[in-house]
Amino acid sequence: MRNPSFAASAALSLLFSSTAFAASDSDIQAMKVEIQAMRQTYESRIAELESKLSKIENQKPAAQQAAVPAAPVPARQSARTIRDNSFNPSIGLILNGKYSGFSEESSEFAGFAIGEEGERGKEGFGIDESEFNFSSNIDDKFYGSVTAAIVREGGEDKVELEEAYVQTLPGMGLPKGTNIKAGRALWTLGYLNEQHAHTDDFADRPLPYRVFLNSAFNDDGVEVSYVLPTDFYSEIGGGAFRGDDTPFGGSSGGGFDAWSAFARIGGDIGENQSWRLGGYALSGDAGGRAGNGDAVDFTGDTSLYAADFRYTWAPTGNPRAQEVILQGEYFWRSEDGTYEDFGAGTGATAFDDNARGWYAQGVYKFLPQWRIGYRYSRLKSPDVPPGLLGSALDSGGYNPDAHAVMADWTNSEFSRLRLQYNHEELARGQGDDQILLQYIMSIGAHGAHKY
Amino acid sequence: MQRILPLIVFLGLMIAAPPGAQAKISLFACEPEWAALARELGGADVEIFTATTPRQDPHHVRAKPSLIAAMRRADLVICTGASLEVGWLPILLQKAGNASVQPGGAGLLLAAELVPLLEKPVRLDRAEGDIHPEGNPHVHLNPHNIAPVAAALTERLKSADTANASSYQARSDDFAARWRDATQRWEQQAAGLKGTAIVAHHKAFTYLLAWLGIQEAGMLEPKPGIPPTASHLEAMLQKLTLNPVRLIVRTPYDPADASEWLSQKSGAAAIVLPFTVGGDAESGDLFALFDRTISLLKGASGA
Repeated sequence: MRNPSFAASAALSLLFSSTAFAASDSDIQAMKVEIQAMRQTYESRIAELESKLSKIENQKPAAQQAAVPAAPVPARQSARTIRDNSFNPSIGLILNGKYSGFSEESSEFAGFAIGEEGERGKEGFGIDESEFNFSSNIDDKFYGSVTAAIVREGGEDKVELEEAYVQTLPGMGLPKGTNIKAGRALWTLGYLNEQHAHTDDFADRPLPYRVFLNSAFNDDGVEVSYVLPTDFYSEIGGGAFRGDDTPFGGSSGGGFDAWSAFARIGGDIGENQSWRLGGYALSGDAGGRAGNGDAVDFTGDTSLYAADFRYTWAPTGNPRAQEVILQGEYFWRSEDGTYEDFGAGTGATAFDDNARGWYAQGVYKFLPQWRIGYRYSRLKSPDVPPGLLGSALDSGGYNPDAHAVMADWTNSEFSRLRLQYNHEELARGQGDDQILLQYIMSIGAHGAHKY
Repeated sequence: MQRILPLIVFLGLMIAAPPGAQAKISLFACEPEWAALARELGGADVEIFTATTPRQDPHHVRAKPSLIAAMRRADLVICTGASLEVGWLPILLQKAGNASVQPGGAGLLLAAELVPLLEKPVRLDRAEGDIHPEGNPHVHLNPHNIAPVAAALTERLKSADTANASSYQARSDDFAARWRDATQRWEQQAAGLKGTAIVAHHKAFTYLLAWLGIQEAGMLEPKPGIPPTASHLEAMLQKLTLNPVRLIVRTPYDPADASEWLSQKSGAAAIVLPFTVGGDAESGDLFALFDRTISLLKGASGA
């Protein structure tokens, strides 16, 4: 505005005139005159500009006007239109709730000290792992994604950052087939680790995941992967990590305390069958990994080797209608360091042994909306040195195992209800019968159909 | 040093990996109809990989390993778009790391972007079923939609493989002429179908029906993508008793039970249309697909 001080004073005086004091008639008259003067000034200025514009338009040669294609006239946008949100990332919300009933009071793993996520879920109703995801291309070279879960721990709702990573896009100009991912992510390790829990075929993770990975390995780090130029699918990769997440912990932060490597192959058998096989290694320093609450500590070198397979078969040729999925993973963990069980007062005791675990499962979709599945998981507990006898790590030669059967109903791609029965015998004489009733719903961005 | 050794070995492997030998243009087609179109236009100059079979519902496909490998090899990708492949194409594009076939570039052609889409939802709400914000994606069953896609694919093939540009153009001109004639023929043959009312399992035939002037009297799916329910079929039967239809159509991948039930109860004929190239033994190419579709419709409706 040409005369902002006048406008401000006019506004102020008008305000005061109605509220604070009554202005004299002459003041009002003076203001009216001034407003009238301003209006005239602006009106004449606008008229002047309009006549200039029409002159310029008339001067434009007619031929040139005709040559201009009838370009779509952009709709007049009000100056107040907010356009920043056109670039909002895609947003997805997962609502995941579960009712659990257990026959046993408590659940302890014979021979293993585990993290909180590896424990049996809490009894009763709970919204475990409802999560939200934001993702988008950042620019021509990078993609970013954040997934945060809302979990209830110790009677409080906490936001747990599951993933927050950036990833290269092909526009980066890396060699064809190469991807680099940095940040916190569900890293490439076995089959389930990369998947968000809500896409699992069962309501809980199998025993090896609970014991060896505290449900999933999502340390902070960087991973490179490369899809090889072969006719069938083959991919290799590896990563370096901070070393703070199970199976590591207590990283000094002075570099990368853990690394990984993997190789995978896969393909089709005819039109209706597909398969994938993988081998994985994850190794590093645990500078103090707490287990069973804070009751047990492990410090030392830990290496985890895994193999996974997945096989899918659509008997009618259409996986939408009917499908059989077979899947299994095998884990072998070797640890060399010291264990200390504070509860049993063992003191730091040297430990050098290995443990194993595996699971195999089959899921059969017999109708487009209905699936049933069975899973068996088993662990081989490590042998403990004499110093750890009687501690939480002493399995007494017992190897935990668990059966799970489930049935689920998928109304649409966005909602699923599941009923699952588990029989877990994680310690000798501790036969735990569990009933799990779960719903998984998604809102927003369309989920990915991962293999 | 020991810790980063695997990383160094890996990087070494990556650099040493030989680039794939490139003889022909490698084309990745998401659905069989686009593979058939590429065969018409590319002939022997193009190696075609088809991601789905006629028996698979293209909405519900996984980003399986073989597709990642094929996407990595591809010089050109042709898909339907309009969110038909929303569950699997983005993962393939990301995972394969192939810069020449990314969205917005010349290497990725989406057919639905080239033709006017029908049934763009007024109410964008998942309570309406598995709806696509862009509109109905099953565009290929109107031959007038094939023509612009053929023209665009020809241009892409020419620029991807300049050495053979003239043969692509020649095949394209030949195809366009034959397609024009065939389209006229089909329109004459199907003239009697105009105004016929039919029921379809899924909104897979919308473009075919709109082209031929066939009236869509209802869907076996209560909402797009939601399998038929007993109550919905019962209501449909009531509706058909008042306003009978001659035909109930479905794709090769739709389950038969709902169609067959309604057919028995209502007396309308339940038929499987090939839907795409290879959908039945007679539909070996795009021309045969339309010949077969029209002859099935005419035969079953008595037109």
